[in-house]
Amino acid sequence: MAAKDESKNSQKKSGNGNDDLVLLNSENLQNNMKIIFYSRTFLSIIAGVIAGILGLTGLMGFILYFFIMAISSLGLAAKAKFSVLNYFDSCNRIILDGLFGGLMSFVLFWTFAYDIVHIF
Amino acid sequence: MAEDLVLDTAIRDWVLVPLSIVMVLIGVLRYFVSKLMRSHKAPDQKIVKEGQVVIRARNLKAAANFIPAKSFKSRKTYFTNEENGLLHIPPGQAPNPQAQMFSDPNMATDMMKKNLSMIIPQTLTFAWVNFFFSGFVAAKIPFPLTQRFRSMLQNGIDLSTVDVSYVSSRSWYFLNLFGLRGLFSLILGEENATDDTQRMMQMGGGFGMDSSKSLGAEKDSLDIIQHDWVLPKFEQRAEAVLRKLMK
Repeated sequence: MAAKDESKNSQKKSGNGNDDLVLLNSENLQNNMKIIFYSRTFLSIIAGVIAGILGLTGLMGFILYFFIMAISSLGLAAKAKFSVLNYFDSCNRIILDGLFGGLMSFVLFWTFAYDIVHIF
Repeated sequence: MAEDLVLDTAIRDWVLVPLSIVMVLIGVLRYFVSKLMRSHKAPDQKIVKEGQVVIRARNLKAAANFIPAKSFKSRKTYFTNEENGLLHIPPGQAPNPQAQMFSDPNMATDMMKKNLSMIIPQTLTFAWVNFFFSGFVAAKIPFPLTQRFRSMLQNGIDLSTVDVSYVSSRSWYFLNLFGLRGLFSLILGEENATDDTQRMMQMGGGFGMDSSKSLGAEKDSLDIIQHDWVLPKFEQRAEAVLRKLMK
């Protein structure tokens, strides 16, 4: 989690705070999206290792994955002080972006850790 | 759990772990090799010029609302007017990109180099895995799968009675190939060489693109842009911020 917090420190304020009119700097928006991507990838690998070490099988592992992703969404929202639209062009950026891209990494590391710890 | 296979720990120590480590290291090596091989050829002046014009037009489009209507209009005319606007290309002068590509052998070699740097390590690793590790049951996927996945996951084991969730070493290689992409993007940074599909797409776009066409597209999108000056609202906001500071 430490790396995630650290990576998000570079998140920049890009909205202007007006309720009626929000402008986004596209460079900052891209930077924010990159940070989401990194934190998601990192977390999906960590989640895979956790699931593998705990020995979760079947549906439980995927539930853990989506649970951790939900927590990370919540963390990102908290980092944006719950005014997501000041940082991103839509709420889906925080909730859905990178959700399925990390799945492959998750499965790989889940299998890897599970095999090393439990199978042999 | 009675039907579980018992796997030798030696398989873990000598197949599973080394295979994964080698995959990671080869990915890193490939990244640096492709970085070394990237050639810096001096680009054509005309192409650079057109590219800069497109970028300027794009900047104008992005920042259109930050300048007054009059300034925007004059800039728009500068770019799009039909006689000597920067984005206006007289018909019949557009160069043929296909011919240009064939006349420039550098481009083809460059493309081939890029492709080779992707294909050669993959072929070599695959041959290596095949040679050393063929036929091992190397891992077990922790979730059940249907029979359809048998050919995918048990590539190299010709037994139909083994549970589908057991993975052969050759298939573990493929799993690594796809799953490590996320790890590479973490350790190698943004533009890592392993993101083949995206690069292919960019390359295809870059080659097929006619520069005059992109100029035309930029011109059209400048033409239809709706100008709406936002700065008057900013004054109130700045005032509010300053007042807050004064307190």
